Amino acid sequence: MKIPYSWLKEIVDTRLTPPQVQEALTMAGVEVSSCRFLGEGFESVVTARILEMRPHPDADRLSLCKVTDGSTIYGIVCGAKNMKPGDAVALAKIGARLPNGMEIRKAKIRGQASEGMLCSEQEMKLAESSAGIMILPADTAPGMPLADALGLSDWLLEVEITPNRGDCLSVLGVAREVASITGEKAVLPEVPLREEGEPIGGLVRIDVSDPDLCPRYTARVVTGVTIAPSPDWMRRRLALCGIRPINNIVDITNYLLLELGQPMHAFDLDRLRGPRIDVRAPKESLAFTTLDGSERSIEPGMLLIRDAVGPVAIAGVMGGANSEVVDGTTRVLFESAHFAPSSIRRTARRLGLSSESSYRFERGVDPAGTAYAADRAVSLLSRFAAVSVAKGTIDVGGERVTPRKVGFRPERATRVMGREYAPEACREIFRRLSFPLVTSGPGSWDVTVPTHRFDIEREIDLVEEVARLSGYDTIPTTYPESKAPDFSEDDRFVDLQERAFDFLRARGFSQAVNFSFVSGRTWERLGEVLGFDPADAVRLKNPISDETTLMRPHLLTGLLSNVADNVHRFVDDVRLYESGKAYGTSYVDGHFEEPRLGLILSGKRLPGDWSGANAPADFFDMKGIVEPLLLHLCASPVHVVPTRTRPFFEEGKSADILRAGEVVGWFGAVRRELLASFELTGAVFYGEIRLREATASSSPPGQYRVLPKFPPVFRDVACVFPIGVPVGDVLAMVRAVSPEVEESSVFDVFTGEKIGDGNKSVGIRVKLQPLDRTLTDAEVHSIHSKIVKLLENRFGGKIRTS
Amino acid sequence: MPETSSLIARLREEGLAAIAAARNESDLLDAKGRFFGKKGAVSGILKGVAGLPVEERKAVGERANRVRGELESAFDSRLAEIREKERVAREGRDRLDVTLPGRGPIPGHRHPVSQTMSDIISVFRRLGFSVQGGPDVEKDYYNFEALNFPPEHPARDMQDTFYVESAGGDLVLRTHTSPIQIRTMERMKPPVRIIAPGTVYRSDSDITHSPMFHQVEGLAVDRNITMADLKGLLTEFCRMTFGPGKPLRFRPSYFPFTEPSAEVDIQCVICGGSGCRVCKESGWLEILGAGMVDPSVFGFVGYDAEEYTGFAFGMGVERIAMLRHGISDIRLFFDNDIRFLSQF
Ligand SMILES: [Zn+2]
Repeated sequence: MKIPYSWLKEIVDTRLTPPQVQEALTMAGVEVSSCRFLGEGFESVVTARILEMRPHPDADRLSLCKVTDGSTIYGIVCGAKNMKPGDAVALAKIGARLPNGMEIRKAKIRGQASEGMLCSEQEMKLAESSAGIMILPADTAPGMPLADALGLSDWLLEVEITPNRGDCLSVLGVAREVASITGEKAVLPEVPLREEGEPIGGLVRIDVSDPDLCPRYTARVVTGVTIAPSPDWMRRRLALCGIRPINNIVDITNYLLLELGQPMHAFDLDRLRGPRIDVRAPKESLAFTTLDGSERSIEPGMLLIRDAVGPVAIAGVMGGANSEVVDGTTRVLFESAHFAPSSIRRTARRLGLSSESSYRFERGVDPAGTAYAADRAVSLLSRFAAVSVAKGTIDVGGERVTPRKVGFRPERATRVMGREYAPEACREIFRRLSFPLVTSGPGSWDVTVPTHRFDIEREIDLVEEVARLSGYDTIPTTYPESKAPDFSEDDRFVDLQERAFDFLRARGFSQAVNFSFVSGRTWERLGEVLGFDPADAVRLKNPISDETTLMRPHLLTGLLSNVADNVHRFVDDVRLYESGKAYGTSYVDGHFEEPRLGLILSGKRLPGDWSGANAPADFFDMKGIVEPLLLHLCASPVHVVPTRTRPFFEEGKSADILRAGEVVGWFGAVRRELLASFELTGAVFYGEIRLREATASSSPPGQYRVLPKFPPVFRDVACVFPIGVPVGDVLAMVRAVSPEVEESSVFDVFTGEKIGDGNKSVGIRVKLQPLDRTLTDAEVHSIHSKIVKLLENRFGGKIRTS
Repeated sequence: MPETSSLIARLREEGLAAIAAARNESDLLDAKGRFFGKKGAVSGILKGVAGLPVEERKAVGERANRVRGELESAFDSRLAEIREKERVAREGRDRLDVTLPGRGPIPGHRHPVSQTMSDIISVFRRLGFSVQGGPDVEKDYYNFEALNFPPEHPARDMQDTFYVESAGGDLVLRTHTSPIQIRTMERMKPPVRIIAPGTVYRSDSDITHSPMFHQVEGLAVDRNITMADLKGLLTEFCRMTFGPGKPLRFRPSYFPFTEPSAEVDIQCVICGGSGCRVCKESGWLEILGAGMVDPSVFGFVGYDAEEYTGFAFGMGVERIAMLRHGISDIRLFFDNDIRFLSQF
């Protein structure tokens, strides 16, 4: 909210300068985000009058003017044409530095001296553009600082009001805060009234049928009105605060909304049928046109202002087109009411219609202030318009307004804040706040809270008042008593993630962070390839864009688009990982989510290598990351088995990772169709680990075995197998042939014409390690034969002899 | 005898010539073998001395020995020459360019947001807090109601909420990590001391707002927790995170689930407090929100608000990462541009 300092000072005549007000309010919890002098750059600009004007002898577009500031006459060369002798204008003298940065120097323009410049609104940053120089009102006296003439010798404070402090949404409210801080007094303007008109009771009848939703309704009437513009000072203040001036009646309601925080509405009394007003919520739905011309669907329960026939306003939100003040209006009813906050909020939200009024009613408008606001409206209007004020006020519910009493113990403030608050100091703060108090028992008080402070209902709310007005800077810094914290499951998980991140970093992977939401449209379109199950989808009701409609079922698309983006930026070797959640309605615990670790790899096997190892990465590079990673995380042993159930992978180039019978992850070559839709041409390998499941139990600690004292024996076997034989199984079975077989490993795999189509040649190295003796040739031979037999009989292998 | 003498002289000439002609160590050894090795010609003559007439023995022996000595020393010096030459040649040939890159993966980079979050967590773990997580898809009750945001309350406007389609209609994407406070207090009796990191969501997007971002939340509840303790803890945190000598400022603010509430500002790390664009000329940067747990929150979890007090605080990780690394556009964090990531 914007507050001119001059307006603030009308209510609290504070000794604080505007920057001091900014600091004091901010440190008391009413943040002033900016405080600026409006006349910045107006220092050497004064009002002046044009004495004479003639064309420049050497330039058609220029004129030579003589202007006076009342004491001196200046010769000015001017490029504008929109002025004439006698006009009041803005003269920037030599040395002025204008708001747009322009510096005024003595100059000769086409041979003619210019002793200053006549300014345009654009140059003074009063307008985005201007057609010529600024022409001031004819009665402007020359020689005044321009800032004074325009009412800009003022400061504008921008105040950020938290939702609990609806009472500060006005000049009055902020003035009260200043008074509470400084101990000065906030004083309401006097409202001299001359009620010369008819008694109001004879002009209109007012009923409140729903008093719960409208605890108080106050009205005053003026007659003999002529709709006209408001005085300049009022229009200027409204404009400064961001409200467009309209006419003398509407402007007054807006002015008081800003000044007092009391939303008001002006009805054309002659357009109210009856004339009467009834405040009530309808039982049925109906359509109603608000004064902005929109038709609104009113639902049962939304509070309306009705006349004898039908609705004339949506209470506290917006008036109706059928009763608003128009050019010919002569009799006006000012409404100044208090509506229940939750009712207004519900209505405004349902209608999607928020106004300055509803914003304030939602946050609480002082029920005690309605009558004063009504008086101030007619009093202000009488100051600048010849109107007749009807006698009296209609005030329904005024007698029900009572302030709240809240208990308070100074000792409690001390206990919560960790510093001593002496009873006397608390008493002083409540005095400044104008919260009367009485002692209710030993060390406890009853504090009376004025009706504008909606936020104060409990002792803790009073503790906060004491603390903030004493200053948070007076709170000492101590340290909470501590015991060693319990090591939680999530502590373990955080450590585990860090281990994974370090491992991947060392292997050349950088960390990505993608949004958890993805484009539902993309997922629907690529549904088959992505393995998308719409029934499992977690969708947003109110996405911010098409890209944020669905919570990602897995992490692939984010990382894949990161690869695409990087490749399109000429970074070809991309290794990324992401630790984040995947979402689906089928996940346990009603949480619909589980933590995953996604890995993606594309480009060269060893980027930056110069020694021939920079072939394109393949499936086994990914496997060579995923398996050791799980080992590193103590999530072993794992089994890698071929999978067919993940359509986002190429068939035959994808695997599931099993641990203790559970699928804890998968990896493979990303399917070509998917790559194509991301405009990727090279191969991309992806892996995803269900981090919690994979690490649900740690591998048990290793157990010591006696180290062998006898030398091992190595035997190499080269064997041709049908291509479908899984070498992993072969190795496992070879190990089982005899207890002496300690290790079996692959040292070579190839295919080609030489060994026949549909075959592969596999070189297997076997390490025989006896524990208690040296193997004899006969024993070695016997084991070798068993292995050969296994390879031939079990796996259809043919031993190669060359 | 003259034959023997001339033979020795010839062998000397030939031997010296062979040694001089040797190009490498093996040529040289070959020459040694032929002329003065155990089975070489000169050695042969020495062995044959015994069979010579007595008067010749001495002269021949002396002459042959002298020649052998001459050949040996010629051999030694030639050997040294050849070895030196070979060493020099080998050094030239085998010398490595040690400035070439090493072989192996080039380490990747940690995401600055994740790194900052880790750093924050480890500071608080050192200060005695233990980690708690919670779901991103959260019940309205935990995200709002139990945190003292009543339905139809304007405080709900402080956070633009994403709602999740669901049968009950009561699911949101958590707008802050504060629901973890409630979930933790429901499960545990005081004392409670937790730090809760996580992803949060708000329907807002511009240069300083992202629809998804990260927060770290802290909560401590016990019999004697005070706002002074909160101030002490956060002062220590800022010292550890931003370095010593950075003034802090606590000013009153409002959050529905804490009272009294505070906003914590640190002196602008860009301008040092003199005012700049980053701090909007104020000299201060908001870095976290905090306060004493509101008694009504204790009401929701069944803690006795007369017996226990507590504090809570929360901070935006992106904001702190932006300040630490001088990043001005939050959207850079989610582009995952390797040229960006590799700067950290
Ligand atoms: Zn700064």
